[in-house]
Amino acid sequence: MDLNDGDLIRRVVDGDQRAYAQLVRRYQSQLRFSLRQLCDGDRGLADDMAQEAFIKAYKALPAFRGDARFSTWLYRIAYNLVMSHKRKKAPDVDQEAVDRARSEESVEEAQQLGMARDLDSAMKELSEAQRQAVHLCMQRGFSHEEAASIMKLPLGTVKSHVNRARAKLQTLLQAWREEVVSGQL
Amino acid sequence: MASFDRHRNRRDNRVDTLSDTAIEGKDPDFDAWLSQQLQFHEPYLDNDGFCEQVMEQLPAPSRRSERRAARFQYGAVVAASAIVAWQFPFDRVWMEALQQSISLYSLVGVGILSSLAAMTGGILAARR
Repeated sequence: MDLNDGDLIRRVVDGDQRAYAQLVRRYQSQLRFSLRQLCDGDRGLADDMAQEAFIKAYKALPAFRGDARFSTWLYRIAYNLVMSHKRKKAPDVDQEAVDRARSEESVEEAQQLGMARDLDSAMKELSEAQRQAVHLCMQRGFSHEEAASIMKLPLGTVKSHVNRARAKLQTLLQAWREEVVSGQL
Repeated sequence: MASFDRHRNRRDNRVDTLSDTAIEGKDPDFDAWLSQQLQFHEPYLDNDGFCEQVMEQLPAPSRRSERRAARFQYGAVVAASAIVAWQFPFDRVWMEALQQSISLYSLVGVGILSSLAAMTGGILAARR
């Protein structure tokens, strides 16, 4: 039976750890994927951060008031962890891991189909903040307000990032869209 | 990559001179399309032991919350039993038993046994 987040959270707070396993399974793929982008492709670091975020969220769950969605709250915790890790460890970036991830990425890139490859390349044209804003709002479906609270940026700044990124992507991907519209794909 | 470069070369100049309309993002169709593409091309990352690793590192649930859960379950069973007892036609059963000459002791015994069975079943079901 698939319970909603609220029901699962109530069960967890009542001491049912199996309910938390359901929440972890529900969000693990999305969160790990998002953090991989935030960690410049360092998959090991992204998974460690995701794990830490889930553990921190579990410990803080009794204090979760439910005025935001669980996913927004979880992402906020995860983004905070990554940002503070980046601030602390800035000079000690595991360059090997990043290079390894990049070489894996380029293999994956070569295997991707045209549209996915071009979408990926277009996303790389954006600044990191723009990419994150687009990822949260357009891929994850968070509202601008939720994305602002996750990224700890003013709402106007997030809106501006999304709008500029959207405009850039619109230009870069216009040909694909035209092909889809004209039924060539 | 070639197609991307081709499209990109065609539009490089336009990226840096975005119109106000583009910046304002007045194309909801594009938003929907882009959102769809981003979601469609996102790979699903297999659990691959991730969840189990997280669960291993969680602190044990506090005894207090376990006790609270148990109290809640017992309370629910007692409440359910009370509702059944309230609705049960004891007087008619009693009269019927007298008429059928069923001994009082066996009747009480059967009643206690069935209550115990119902409560045990309820507790087990609630715990599961």
